[in-house]
Amino acid sequence: MSEFIQLVVAGLTTGSFYALVALGYTMVYGIVRLINFAHGDIFMVGAFIGWTVLTAVAASHMPWGIGLLLALILAMLLTGGIGVVIERFAYQPLLSAPPLSILITALGVSIALENGVLLIFGAGFNTYPHLIGSEGFMLGGAHITNIQVGIIVLSFLLMGGLYLFVHHTFIGTAMRALAVDRDAARLMGINVERVIQITFFLGSSLAAVAGVMEGLYYTEINFFMGFVVGLRAFTAAVLGGIGNIPGAMAGGLLIGLLEAFSAGYISSRWTDVIVFLVLIGTLVIKPTGLFGERVVERM
Amino acid sequence: MIKPILYAGLPLLMTLGGAAAFADTIKIGVPVPLSGPYASAGVDVLNAAKLAAADINASGGVLGKQIEILGEDDACDAQQGVQAAQKLVDAGVAAVAGGYCSGAALPELTALHRAGIPYILDASTNPKLTQLGFNNVFRTIGRDDQQGPFAAAFMANYLKAKKVAVIDDNTVYSKGLADNTVAGLKKLGIDVVYYDAVTPGQMDYSAVLSHVASLGPDVIDYTGYFAEAGLMAKEAAALHLAPKLMGGDATDDPTLIKTAGMAANGWMATCAPLPQFLTGAKDFVTNFTKAYNTAPGPYSVYEYDAVEIAAKTIKSAGSTDPATLIAALHKVTDYPGLTGNITFNSVGDRAVASYITVIVKDEAWAPYVKQTPAGQWVPVQ
Repeated sequence: MSEFIQLVVAGLTTGSFYALVALGYTMVYGIVRLINFAHGDIFMVGAFIGWTVLTAVAASHMPWGIGLLLALILAMLLTGGIGVVIERFAYQPLLSAPPLSILITALGVSIALENGVLLIFGAGFNTYPHLIGSEGFMLGGAHITNIQVGIIVLSFLLMGGLYLFVHHTFIGTAMRALAVDRDAARLMGINVERVIQITFFLGSSLAAVAGVMEGLYYTEINFFMGFVVGLRAFTAAVLGGIGNIPGAMAGGLLIGLLEAFSAGYISSRWTDVIVFLVLIGTLVIKPTGLFGERVVERM
Repeated sequence: MIKPILYAGLPLLMTLGGAAAFADTIKIGVPVPLSGPYASAGVDVLNAAKLAAADINASGGVLGKQIEILGEDDACDAQQGVQAAQKLVDAGVAAVAGGYCSGAALPELTALHRAGIPYILDASTNPKLTQLGFNNVFRTIGRDDQQGPFAAAFMANYLKAKKVAVIDDNTVYSKGLADNTVAGLKKLGIDVVYYDAVTPGQMDYSAVLSHVASLGPDVIDYTGYFAEAGLMAKEAAALHLAPKLMGGDATDDPTLIKTAGMAANGWMATCAPLPQFLTGAKDFVTNFTKAYNTAPGPYSVYEYDAVEIAAKTIKSAGSTDPATLIAALHKVTDYPGLTGNITFNSVGDRAVASYITVIVKDEAWAPYVKQTPAGQWVPVQ
C-alpha cells in the first residue's frame, strides 16, 4: 500500500510537469493548427531564467520565499515574452503559408533555442540552489515531500485558472472563437493577431512554471532537458485529444501515472513501450484522443 | 615578432608543400565528450592531455618536434564517436589517447583499428574493448571485470550486506559493470534481490527506487553515470529509503554532489585511485589546479599517463609510424607513471590494476577504504 501511494504521488508530480507543458502544445494547435515543436525548449528556457534569478537570490540574503515567487514571476513574464517574440518573427509571417513551412520553422526555433542556451550557459549541468529540502510527512507508510505537494497543488491551480480564463473571460471567448473559425472571428471584430500572441504568452509562461518547478524538484538542468519533457508532453496532448484543454491536463497526469506504475511494478526499461502502447491503443479506439470528441470546437 | 618570421617562412612552406606543414608537430588525438551531459568529464580529460603535452614540450618535445593535442567531441555517442575518430585519422594523428564513455570508445576503436592507429584509453573500462583481438588498444585504467568483483567484495565483506539491488542504465559501460558485479555477488553468496535497468535522462527514478526499497536490500548499487546517480541520491533521501547507496567509478564526479546537496552524503563509489590519493601525482594536482582553476577530474591523471606513454614511446621507437608505435607500446614494461608502474599485458590491459572506494562526506568526496593484498579493509590514506 505504501508503495502504491508513493507511486501515485511520484506519478502526479511528473504528470503535473507534462500537463503544464502539454497545455502549450494544445492551445497553440487549437488556434493556429501548429505543432509547436519548440515548446519543449521554451520549457527549458523557463528553467534557465528561473535558475538565473534563484542563483542571484541565493547569493543575496533575500528570504527564499520571496526569491522563489520572484523567480516564478520573472520566468513566466520573460518566457512568455520570448514566446510572443518567437510567434511574431518566426510563425506569424507563415500563418497563411503551407503547414509544412511553419512546422519546419518550429524545428528551427527549437534548434536555435537549444544552441543559444548552450552558448550562454555552457554544455554541462547547472544546478538549482538547494532552497527546499526533502522535508515532508508520512501518509500510509509513504514519505511525501512538501515540494511534491506544492508542485501538484500549484499545477492544479494553474490548470483550473486557465480553464476559467478560457471559458469565462472575453479573451478566452475570443480564443475559442479563433479555434472554431479564424476568418469568421476576424469578421466579428476580434483582433486575431493579438489573441494568437496572448495564446503564445499563456502557453509559454505555463511551460516556464513547469521549468522552474522541475529545476527546484530535480536540481539539475541542462540545455537539452526540453527534449524528453517536450516529447512526453506532446504525447500527453495527443492522448488527451490535441486542441482540447482538459484533455491535455488529463493526458499529462495519465502519462505521469503510467510512467510511475510501469517503472514501479514492471520495469523502468519498459516505461516508454508502455506509454506509447497506451497512446497507440487509445488512438486506434478513439482517433481524436480521450477528450477530442467535439471536432468543431477545439478549445 | 612572431608574425614577420611566419611571413618570411611562408614562401618556403609553399614550395615544400603541405607535407612539411603537417610534419611540424606530432599530433595526439583526444576523443572525449565535449557536449551533452558528460561534457564536464570530457573537459577534465582533455585538459589533462594538454597539460601533459605542455610538460613534454617544455622539456624539448619529442624527436625535435612539439606535441599537439587535438580534442574531438564524441558526445558519449557511438555515431559521433566514429566521426570523431575519422576526423582524427584525417588530421594525421600519430596516436590517440583519451575516451570516456565505453559506448563511444568501442566504435572509435574499430575506426582507429581500420586506420592502424594506436588508441590508449584513459577512462573506458568495459572489458570488451580489449577482448576484440585488436592489437592497437591499450588502457591505463582497470577493467569492469576487475572493478565488479571488487565492488561485490566491498558490499559483502565491508558493508556486510546480505541482500543487494543492482541497477544499471543499459549503456555498454554500465551494463558490463553491473553484470560483473552481480556475478561477483552471487559467487560470494549474496542475495541479488533486484537487477534491472533504468533509462538515463528520465529525471524521476523515485518509482523504481521505492519499488527496489520494498524488496528490502541492504545496499542499492547503481552502475550508471553521475547525472542520474545525483538524482537517485536526492530522490532516495526524499523517500526516506533505508538501504545504503553506492555506484561505480562513473558516479565519482562533483556533479553528483551539486545535484543532490546534503542528500549526497554517504554515497559510496568504487573507483581507480584518484590523483589526490596517489603519492606520485601531488605535483600533477597542483599544476592542474593552477592551470585550470579547478581540481582534476577522476580520470585526468590516467589521461596524463596515457599521453605521456604515447609521447615517450614515440621517442624510444624513434618514429611516428603507427605500426612501429603499436609494436613499441606492446613492449612497455614498468613505465613509472603517475598512477603507478604501468605494464601492458598481451591484450593491452594494465597488468596490475587497483581499486579503492570513496565516499561523500560533508558534501565533498573523501577517500574511504581499500583492500590490502591479504584481504583486509583499511582506510585510504
